[in-house]
Amino acid sequence: MTKISRRDILKLTTDGLLAGAGLLGLGGLVRFLSYETDVPPSEYDLGPADNYPDPSRTVLPYIPAILIRNGAQFTALSLACTHLGCTVEEKGSEFDCPCHGSRYDSSGYVLKGPADRPLKKLRVEQLQDNTLRLYMD
Amino acid sequence: MENRRKTSSREMRNNFRRWLSIVFVLAGVLLLSLFRTWSVGAQTFQTPATPSASAPDATATLPPFDASRLTRPPVSSSPSQAEQGSQIYWGVCMACHGDRGQGLTDEWRGAAFGPDANCWKSRCHGKDHPPEGFEIPKTTFIPALTAPGSLARFLTARDLHDFILANMPWWNPGSLTSDKAWQLTAYILKLKGVLPTGIALGEQNASEVFVRQMAPPPDDHIAEIVLAATLLLSSLGLALQFAWPRLQPASTPGLEAGAPTISRPRRPNFFAHLHPPAIPAAQARWRYTLGAGGIAVFLCLVLVATGLLEMFYYMPSPDQAANSIQTITFLVPFGGFVRNLHYWAAQALVIIALIHLLRVIFTGAFAPPRRFNYLLGLGLLIIVLFFDFTGYVLRWDEGIRWALVAGTNLIKSIPALGESLFLFVVGGSTIGPAALVRFYTWHIYALGILGAVFLIWHLFRVRRDGGIAAPPNRLPLKAGRIDRSELLRREVLAMLIAGFVLVLLSAFLRAPIALPIRDNVIQLTEARAPWFFLWVQQLLKLGSPFLWGVLVPLMVVLVLALIPYVFRGPDETERGRWFPRKGRFVQILVAVIFLTLIVLTILGYTSAISL
Repeated sequence: MTKISRRDILKLTTDGLLAGAGLLGLGGLVRFLSYETDVPPSEYDLGPADNYPDPSRTVLPYIPAILIRNGAQFTALSLACTHLGCTVEEKGSEFDCPCHGSRYDSSGYVLKGPADRPLKKLRVEQLQDNTLRLYMD
Repeated sequence: MENRRKTSSREMRNNFRRWLSIVFVLAGVLLLSLFRTWSVGAQTFQTPATPSASAPDATATLPPFDASRLTRPPVSSSPSQAEQGSQIYWGVCMACHGDRGQGLTDEWRGAAFGPDANCWKSRCHGKDHPPEGFEIPKTTFIPALTAPGSLARFLTARDLHDFILANMPWWNPGSLTSDKAWQLTAYILKLKGVLPTGIALGEQNASEVFVRQMAPPPDDHIAEIVLAATLLLSSLGLALQFAWPRLQPASTPGLEAGAPTISRPRRPNFFAHLHPPAIPAAQARWRYTLGAGGIAVFLCLVLVATGLLEMFYYMPSPDQAANSIQTITFLVPFGGFVRNLHYWAAQALVIIALIHLLRVIFTGAFAPPRRFNYLLGLGLLIIVLFFDFTGYVLRWDEGIRWALVAGTNLIKSIPALGESLFLFVVGGSTIGPAALVRFYTWHIYALGILGAVFLIWHLFRVRRDGGIAAPPNRLPLKAGRIDRSELLRREVLAMLIAGFVLVLLSAFLRAPIALPIRDNVIQLTEARAPWFFLWVQQLLKLGSPFLWGVLVPLMVVLVLALIPYVFRGPDETERGRWFPRKGRFVQILVAVIFLTLIVLTILGYTSAISL
């Protein structure tokens, strides 16, 4: 067994301490840079339900989502492509993605890849005062 | 003695007092001027902001009704496009946008509508409007068309036309024909004073007509051409000196005959000092090095200088970034030229760096002792790609939108780490205002510092590793060497030629620019990745983002990085030559990789998704 001198132990300890200090600094840096200043809204007020005729499909580009009214029933689809998040565009009876060519049918199911999941369904609620609220989660 | 000391101490005191008074007066002047500046600044600050053009329910006293401002504008017997537009404007647009394009100002409401001046409560546009009327949305701002800074979201007449055609008039969008929209565009540009005389706006020319006032005429390239010519001539001069070394004085003249000769070698200046006193001539052959490394360094210097100039005008905030780039490009004298230089130098750097990499691989120069420097160079290439992507994103216009979304969402696709890495890079869980500031900081500071460290290290290692890989020198030591003034001259020659090409490119080919990003519009103009990432975009069409967008590119980098550690380089005798026999496998492997990347890039470019 090799003999470890006092000097070696001292050096090892110093190196370890320095490495620890570096890691602590790095961790602090990561946390510093990971603060989220603008949390995106988790819900949107869409105004009175009567604003949307029956039947209708209304694109809400700032979300981006599409609000579908069918009789008294409101549903909504996120327009963010499930592949890499580009906004899909409604073309005839389907949705096309400009970035990598995914296509979805009018209810958001995948017709053609590379996307492998349907467009996300968003919850729409009709409140007491007959206004609509869209939830992003 | 005693006396003298006294005098001198008195003198000192006097001097001290004199200096003190001067300093005092100076300080006073400084304070006064500071106060003056401050008070002027304070006054500016107190000036009330310009009132917004339309304030619903405004009950301010309005000017009296003035029927003369409602008369139809006159038309000549053969009306111009703008005159035809004025008739449509009068009938359709004027009520809201004002008789001079001022918008729905209080002044205009009073003058035009008298008793009905409160549009939001009037019988025409209130809640209970007649069938022919419509309700003016309280929340929608009716924009001025001619005020300074108006129509800032439109770059060219085509953009304005397309918007009018799709969105106007507000209560019945789509009711105008394209011809009428061109006439309206011409009239609005005329009101703004930016309509070029003697042309009819249409599909073919509208992209060249700018909505905002552009100061320097875009076809005036005289200064750039003179600069290019100067560079070309000086590179010719340098090449001539190079071709006929006898033109140089044979020995140092000046010492008179008989004077004692003191041999004092010329001391190298700063730039000479960056080089070794002499290097083997075999290390500085154009055909071998292609000058790629030196030109890459030159491009870095151009990028630092032009980037610094751009920072004087660029504003890294989401609603100002794209407009400030328009300001640089179209308003600032030589601003477009500076931006083009930055753009073309950045594109050229990617290509030159790739050529440099291929040279090193195809000559086997990665062999020990240069293995580590090869890695440093590869690191620099990756830094350059990140530089180009972040710089591209800083445009913050419609042209970069989808590349930004897809490029950053790639990070999210990494299992486990993705979400937190995305937050770290982008500054939010989605792309928001923080993202632009992040990319600005990554581009200029983080990558700048990292790039500088790697570049200096890379250059230092060239010298540490004994210069560029070259064939073993069998000649007597002195014969096969060039001294550093010669090396420096060759470098300057390469820089002058590169500078000439760069200036010519930048004078005539404008860096891409598009409309500012608008959150409330889905506009699918450009869904292509920047050209150096087109191959990734093409791969991504195959499916899983993590596999094709992260793992495969990483594999390419890994294969390149492992080359010097897995394969032995060429033998000592084969060093410094293109395509050495020992190393064929590596050459073929890298050629296949690069050809694949090129094919993917071409596919990505041509298969633009038709929408």
